[in-house]
Amino acid sequence: MALLEVHNLVKAFGGLKANDDVSFQLEQGDLLSVIGPNGAGKTTLFNCIAGMFAPTSGRVVFGGEDITGIGAPAVARRGLARTFQVYVAGGDLNVLENVMVGCFMRTGSPARARRQAEGLLEEMGLKELGRAMVNELPVAAQKRVTMATALATEPRLLLLDEVAAGLNPSEIEGIMGSIRHVHGERGVTVMLIEHVMELVMNISRRVIVLDYGRKIAEGSPQDISRDPQVIKAYLGEKYVRDHVPASGGAPA
Amino acid sequence: MEAIKNAFDFSDFPRLDRVLAAGVFAALLAFPLFPYSAFAMATVIQFFMFSLYSMGWNTIGGYGGQVDLGQAQYAGIGAYTTTVCLLRWDIPFWVSMPIGVVIAVCWSFAIGYPLFKLKGHYFAIASIATSLVLKDVFEVWKFVGAARGLGILPSKYQPPDFLRLIFREDVYYYYVIFGFFALGLLAMNWFRKSRLGFQLRSIKDNEEVARSLGINVRWAKIKTYGLAVTFVSVVGSFHAVYVKNIEPEDTMSLDLSILIALMAMMGGAGSFWGPVIGAGVLIPLKSYLKEWLGAAAGMVGMDLIIYGVIIMLISAFEPRGIWGIVEKIRRRTRI
Repeated sequence: MALLEVHNLVKAFGGLKANDDVSFQLEQGDLLSVIGPNGAGKTTLFNCIAGMFAPTSGRVVFGGEDITGIGAPAVARRGLARTFQVYVAGGDLNVLENVMVGCFMRTGSPARARRQAEGLLEEMGLKELGRAMVNELPVAAQKRVTMATALATEPRLLLLDEVAAGLNPSEIEGIMGSIRHVHGERGVTVMLIEHVMELVMNISRRVIVLDYGRKIAEGSPQDISRDPQVIKAYLGEKYVRDHVPASGGAPA
Repeated sequence: MEAIKNAFDFSDFPRLDRVLAAGVFAALLAFPLFPYSAFAMATVIQFFMFSLYSMGWNTIGGYGGQVDLGQAQYAGIGAYTTTVCLLRWDIPFWVSMPIGVVIAVCWSFAIGYPLFKLKGHYFAIASIATSLVLKDVFEVWKFVGAARGLGILPSKYQPPDFLRLIFREDVYYYYVIFGFFALGLLAMNWFRKSRLGFQLRSIKDNEEVARSLGINVRWAKIKTYGLAVTFVSVVGSFHAVYVKNIEPEDTMSLDLSILIALMAMMGGAGSFWGPVIGAGVLIPLKSYLKEWLGAAAGMVGMDLIIYGVIIMLISAFEPRGIWGIVEKIRRRTRI
């Protein structure tokens, strides 16, 4: 049984279909990337899966249970966590306290929440930053805080919304390491939205491509990078020329 | 139990704060042992009452960021419950006060359920409206004395009456409200470390994120609102036996609602000491301004103008109030 099944999902805003008949499955232990141009409906898809939006039609099944339209808090309690693309923190909670809010989903004990949060900060390389305010941190550290906070809810499936956006190459290396750690050591199934192709091609096992709200391709990173439709809609000829080895040939 | 341990544990405050707080606490405890004027006594009692009102407001309004301007209705519920219980059925304070809390909390659930669908200014306006409606109901309700209100005649009882809290000397009231003040501080110390406290701060930060972390935002707000009105209703009950004369225009006025919120905002909304500092600054100021200026012809209401200006200045320059200024200085000088 798949961990997550999305069946014929449609999300319309007025006349605009942000998601149009999207279906896919995600197995336990998978690492799936969702790519596509801006406005393709990637974040809307996340919002529908995580219960922020109720889909116009279609179903979302998580762990065998239909979770369509049950609302974000109920989805989170079933073990599906997410990060946000733009993390707005008003500056009232410091880094440790932010992560503690996540821990409080599973425990009512402040002492236990604090212990767990401290452990998570250490795991995510944020140990020294516990008392800092989130909005005072560099972007890379902020992204780690959002990941740590989401992980604090002990999810089975983690949705990461553009965790590499705005990072420099060495920071991207770092966040890739964190994702590998979460996926490999913690055994959390991961689904991510990303524009940074280096990250997508490196760590994904599977990729789905959205364009104008529709799923136009699905497959391994290698297959996707050769798919003419994907190249036309998103990757572009230049990317393929520079990064994708021609069939049978050596990398350029 | 962890909750009780947390309520008594102040060890995470800086040493300086603990020493200062202990000093002020001891001074307040000893205050009635020294010669005092009736005016000073009344002012300190007011300080305790408004600290507690604002502590209650601070849970939902400060930590949760839901600016409620209708707390007076809960003070009214507490005050009326205690007065009516005493006058009609001779029910003592220690029984009528919890009854008042139960009624206030039930009412807060009924009000909060629809109200917390609203956000920001809309919530604030709606909270004012609910309070004014209840006040209008009390003004025409004969059972509770309508617009003329109800009065407790101390001569009908034998003061000091510790069950009904009927005293002749203010010093008894002083120590009763002091006890509530201490309990209030313990409750707030629990709240700020509790799951509910963290949930409210997360909600203030970003409701979308809070929801994604499994927080049922509306329910968390309603629960906290119930906690807030518990504080306010208890003080309302105390007000009834202390002042012994209640009427809707006084006990449930918009002025009271606004003062409750302003005390916490001025001291520092969402901080532990904010309500105490706010009440500690505004109550003496308000009392003395009333005494000095209010007596002069044509100067009535001047006190309101003066502290209105102070509030405007504070909210323009430091929205986190006096405590925000303290923390800023502290970060710079590392005291």
